Amino acid sequence: MRFRHGRIAAFAAAALVLAACGGDETAESTTSDEPTSSEEPTQSDEPTDETSDMASEEPSDEPVTRADADLVIWADDTRAPVIEPFAEDFGAAEGITVAVQEVEFDQIRDLMSTQAPAGEGPDVFIGAHDWLGQLVSDGVVAPLDIANSDDFFPVATAAFNFEGNTYGLPYAIENIALVRNVDLVPQRPETVEEMAEVALALLDAGEVTVPLAWQQPDVYHAYWLVTGAGGYVFGTNDDGSYDPTDLGIDSEGGLEAGAIFADLVERGAISGDVTYDIMRDSFAAGDAPFAVTGPWAVADFGDVNYVVEPLPSVAGGEARPFVGVQGFMVSSFAANELAAKTFVLDYMATQDAQLQLFEAGNRPPALQAAFDAISDNPVVAGFGAAGANGYAMPSIPEMGSVWSAWADAYTLILDGGDPTEAFTAAATQIRNLIAGG
Amino acid sequence: MAWQERFSATTFSGTIAKLLLLGVSNALAISALPQLWSARAWQGLVAVALATVAIDVVYLSGRHVPLKYLLPGTLFLLSFQAYPVVYNAYVAFTNFGTGNILTQDQALEQVLRRSVAIPEDAVRYAATPLVDDAGSLAVLLVAPDGSQQLGTPDGLSAVDPADVVIDGSRVASVGPWRRLTLGQATDREDEVLGFRVPTGEGEIRLQSFTQAALAEQLLVHDPATDTLTNTQDGAVYLAAEGFYRTDDGQRLTPGWRVFVGFENFNRVLGSEAIRGPFLRVFAWTFVFAVLSVLLTFALGLFLAITLNDPRVRGLKYYRAVMIIPYALPSFMTALIWAGLLNQDFGIVNRLLGTDVNWLGDPWLAKASILLVNTWLGFPYMFLISLGALQAIPTDLREAAFIDGASGYKAFRFVTLPLVLVATGPILISSFAFNFNNFNVIYLLTGGGPPIVGAQTPAGHTDILISYTYRLAFETGRGNDWGLASAVAVLIFLIVALFSIVSFRQTRALEEVN
Repeated sequence: MRFRHGRIAAFAAAALVLAACGGDETAESTTSDEPTSSEEPTQSDEPTDETSDMASEEPSDEPVTRADADLVIWADDTRAPVIEPFAEDFGAAEGITVAVQEVEFDQIRDLMSTQAPAGEGPDVFIGAHDWLGQLVSDGVVAPLDIANSDDFFPVATAAFNFEGNTYGLPYAIENIALVRNVDLVPQRPETVEEMAEVALALLDAGEVTVPLAWQQPDVYHAYWLVTGAGGYVFGTNDDGSYDPTDLGIDSEGGLEAGAIFADLVERGAISGDVTYDIMRDSFAAGDAPFAVTGPWAVADFGDVNYVVEPLPSVAGGEARPFVGVQGFMVSSFAANELAAKTFVLDYMATQDAQLQLFEAGNRPPALQAAFDAISDNPVVAGFGAAGANGYAMPSIPEMGSVWSAWADAYTLILDGGDPTEAFTAAATQIRNLIAGG
Repeated sequence: MAWQERFSATTFSGTIAKLLLLGVSNALAISALPQLWSARAWQGLVAVALATVAIDVVYLSGRHVPLKYLLPGTLFLLSFQAYPVVYNAYVAFTNFGTGNILTQDQALEQVLRRSVAIPEDAVRYAATPLVDDAGSLAVLLVAPDGSQQLGTPDGLSAVDPADVVIDGSRVASVGPWRRLTLGQATDREDEVLGFRVPTGEGEIRLQSFTQAALAEQLLVHDPATDTLTNTQDGAVYLAAEGFYRTDDGQRLTPGWRVFVGFENFNRVLGSEAIRGPFLRVFAWTFVFAVLSVLLTFALGLFLAITLNDPRVRGLKYYRAVMIIPYALPSFMTALIWAGLLNQDFGIVNRLLGTDVNWLGDPWLAKASILLVNTWLGFPYMFLISLGALQAIPTDLREAAFIDGASGYKAFRFVTLPLVLVATGPILISSFAFNFNNFNVIYLLTGGGPPIVGAQTPAGHTDILISYTYRLAFETGRGNDWGLASAVAVLIFLIVALFSIVSFRQTRALEEVN
């Protein structure tokens, strides 16, 4: 009996050791062989801790690892299907393998910082131009040389310039505009004052429940008010780059904008309770005469008879909203830099690619020829007109200090605070943060 | 018997199970160790080796019986609790964050790459990389005016158009040179990227596989002194504290991560701008955690006592309904509560017919947070208290009544201490959890109505962790992991101190019984 158990034990141990040695290869291949079609990181809630009475920590992002191909492109689920055929053509023409991975747009920037230096990043990725501050600081994006930069809108190429280098090829420009319900308001308001009066009159008459479908508090959606009144967020140097030492929130124009904003709040035209969902739902139901929003929302407006036009002037000054530019960037830790740059510069700068990206994402294309080709689309033309004189969002890292503090200032005004005090306090906070806290 | 003693198992199936599990752990180690070795992950290598040896020694010997029970838990404690804390503490002493995530070598490479400048009026050529039979590289350059030249490391030379053979839309060969395919180029990418054609005005280099232009390197690195020199204006950059910087403070990005000592802690505790809101936020965090525990426990215990009475019928159904707030993901329910408490459009105000600014008024926002947190947490306390109550022998209470104790006194001196003995550790861990309850705060009020006049953005309902989150990740220059880790270490010390003291107190409780 002793002998038999001993032998069985020996066999079992041998079998397990063999299994362990054979397990090497499968273990290796599963870590490097990701599916090439889609790789969507899901937000995972950690399982409830037994010793705690609240469920889950902050949701964690599963890190996306590089697919096993020569050229790897990261794009969000809207644009990946558009890019895939081009990537496949490129791969077939040049004899290399390509993979397009779907990654959530908002996660790409932070994933680049963690994954690229570890060798798990892509070769090409899409992103917004204001990410450049962080991406360039982290050193994960490579400079590009665009030979035909004159073919793009100047604001688009300027947006991807940073500290003397170009870091991306633009494909879409986005900005907010005034969306007007034509049935409720037949004529375009020329000034903010006019817009508020019309909206409040409709509210009093009971025809609408929300006078201005304008999400609050939101720094991005309120910037046109500031520029119209003559204010600014950061001053510009001679070469057009932003100067972080010159903060304009508490400048004369900035404070005037704050006062106009507070006046609108007091009269009931702006409500602090309007969120993005309420803005979208109220305008789509015909419950709001005006909406201040961008191309991402108009798809949900259904069969409301609306028109997209430039924002009204503010205290006599032209309203110039923030402009965001999306583009293709090349990772500086790319496994195949030549292939990446060639794909971006030769395949994504064509009119065909830019138009297809427009059709998928509904943002006006950055290539001038492509924009002209679809200029008969009134929505696109409207957004284009509204943003023609817009300011590219500052991509300097100091801009990160502005959002939170300025949003707090708007919140205070929405709750009835004094605008001058709120804006001055925000400016102080931002200067403290820029100085290092 | 000898083999049974050796394997410390008393049944046959027990032996097999033990062998299987030991085999699995050894198999994992054997498969992981070579990979860790080739990846040069020394920490992981040592950890896996030590753990495997420990498992084998403990489970294969007849002694160390207590260790057999404790070992798995200890290993998990070390890997999931101790190691993250130690790593966090390590990061707190570095400048790891946006702008400082690379190693110095990587950062230097990026800085040099970035300093390549193309002159304003440079000609941009359409390029076709070529290779000959010997494997040397060349490139056919076509200027915008159509003129063609051949570029080699010796310079530019003329090309006879008759030699250029076109295949479809691309050049197939130029004399003895054939077109280099992209696949071949990526195999020798460093060589192709480093290919230079010297001309009178500088060097032409490839900008992509199909374009080339004149470009010059503005910065030159001197490995001996580890400095960078700008060839145009002569500025010299020294490596210092994670960046290449000049004497007058100009900095090149990207930087790299270095050890900075107590700098992060000095910023948190020393900077006037951060310290102001910090103390205030800390006070609220403490109050919030304590009140959350008290309220959830009080409500849970009250319901447990009420429903534990033998006269109550259908306890099962009450219990099932009470679990719902706990069963639903708090991430979702907190967002729903934020919608319910919306001042103009939320249901709470509509039903009550009021216009209360639940989330905008500082004190009401605090009350709302406590209300939602109590709603989320009382089912758990209810379950625990129910279990603790049912474990108390009924004759104890009867004895108390016989001795003349009223209902309240019986509860206070008999029931409550016995319940506290069972639930004491849970209350302490609930405090620790709520001290860092980022979810509820962030989702419900986002930190709450802003504190007017705070030097750095802070809200009335901000707890330490949400205030730090904003400070480290939503403001400043991107993600400042060093600062966030420093605050995390401070929070850990505070919570650990409180927990140690509380555990001592609860031990006193047990000794009474």
